Amino acid sequence: MSTEVKEYALPPEVLEETVKASEELWKPIKKVKFRIYKYNPKRDYAPHWEEYELEVSKGMTILDALLEIKGEKDHTLGMRYSCRMGLCGSCAMMINGKQMLACQTRVIEAAGDGDVIELRPLENFPVTRDLATDFSAFFEKHKTVKPWIIRDEEELDNPTGPYKQTIEEYARYYQFTDCIKCGACLSACPTAATDYEYLGPQALAQAYRYLVDSRDDGLDERIAVVDVAHGCWRCHFAGSCSDVCPRGVDPAQGIQLLKGLIIRRKFGFRPHKPTEALPAKIAKKKEQ
Amino acid sequence: MRESTVMFLHYITAILIAVTGLIHLLANNEPTIGPLIKENPVIYLGNMAIFLAALLYHAFNGVRVILIELVPDPCWTKWISWAVVIIGIVTYVVGLQVLLVALGLV
Ligand code: SF4
Ligand code: SF4
Ligand code: FES
Repeated sequence: MSTEVKEYALPPEVLEETVKASEELWKPIKKVKFRIYKYNPKRDYAPHWEEYELEVSKGMTILDALLEIKGEKDHTLGMRYSCRMGLCGSCAMMINGKQMLACQTRVIEAAGDGDVIELRPLENFPVTRDLATDFSAFFEKHKTVKPWIIRDEEELDNPTGPYKQTIEEYARYYQFTDCIKCGACLSACPTAATDYEYLGPQALAQAYRYLVDSRDDGLDERIAVVDVAHGCWRCHFAGSCSDVCPRGVDPAQGIQLLKGLIIRRKFGFRPHKPTEALPAKIAKKKEQ
Repeated sequence: MRESTVMFLHYITAILIAVTGLIHLLANNEPTIGPLIKENPVIYLGNMAIFLAALLYHAFNGVRVILIELVPDPCWTKWISWAVVIIGIVTYVVGLQVLLVALGLV
């Protein structure tokens, strides 16, 4: 069998335009001063600030700038990052006082008319080093709300078919599946600023996400975790969490819906019958 | 008690404060139905007893919420809650007594 390899080339005028646009994007256009928080808790007595100046281009993100600083000016700079495309949630930090993803924020936009950008580690998180923060407690809180489908059924191990779910049922929790666990919401939350036991917007919104999933059977089990002194009732609906979420999730709304669901549960309400989502055969057996 | 029950009562008492507070204002300022309410000690005293209970519950629970957010240690959370319950009950008993004396019932 002969395989013909075809070569595709962009028309010269398109190629020329693309190269020009790319050159335009990466051409240095101004000098920006980066004021960066430096602190190594193992070594330093107190945090201090360092300043670095860089020539920046239109396309340069804060993460690009930080990598350039780390590569060429200060090898000791500590930070977290991984995917560089707004998916892993590792690079959230305080950019000019607001929680943002470093890989999704352009230097030019952050600087605005000025030429100084201040970078600090996320508030409400312990600092590991410089811009890197410790997420252990945050992930632990996420784990507490059991962020998985709970089913006390044998079909989880031996599935007999797909779980049915209508588009309306999917729409109930869809937005919350966009969470990338970047911690921006917890960092912006005024309750979390003093109450370190507070479960926080991310974990609580995820609790709601699983509670209204029609495949889930963990209603009372999960409510017992969030309906506690430092659970969902400590949210005062300031909405800062939703304001900073880089993925457009609305954790504040999730928490209010969660509160409503808990109150309605007191009067016997269930958001769904778990048997509705079962493969037909097992649902029938369960209902008998 | 589950936190949801505590907070549910917090919202209910907010409504009770508004309703019983309004009855209290009417009783003292409204010339037609005011005297009718005041003349009946059961209604007047009952209204004031509910008003005081709702007000104290709402206020002390508010204080509890502020304190447990400022001192989040789980051990302290328990102590703060108990302290608030005890102080609340004592204040209610004293308040009722003051009310009875003011109405000339004791
Ligand atoms: S809800 Fe938004 S801000 Fe919070 S962790 Fe998820 S993606 Fe980040
Ligand atoms: S809405 Fe609730 S969870 Fe979100 S920032 Fe405000 S207090 Fe925190
Ligand atoms: S590096 Fe993954 S979100 Fe920024």
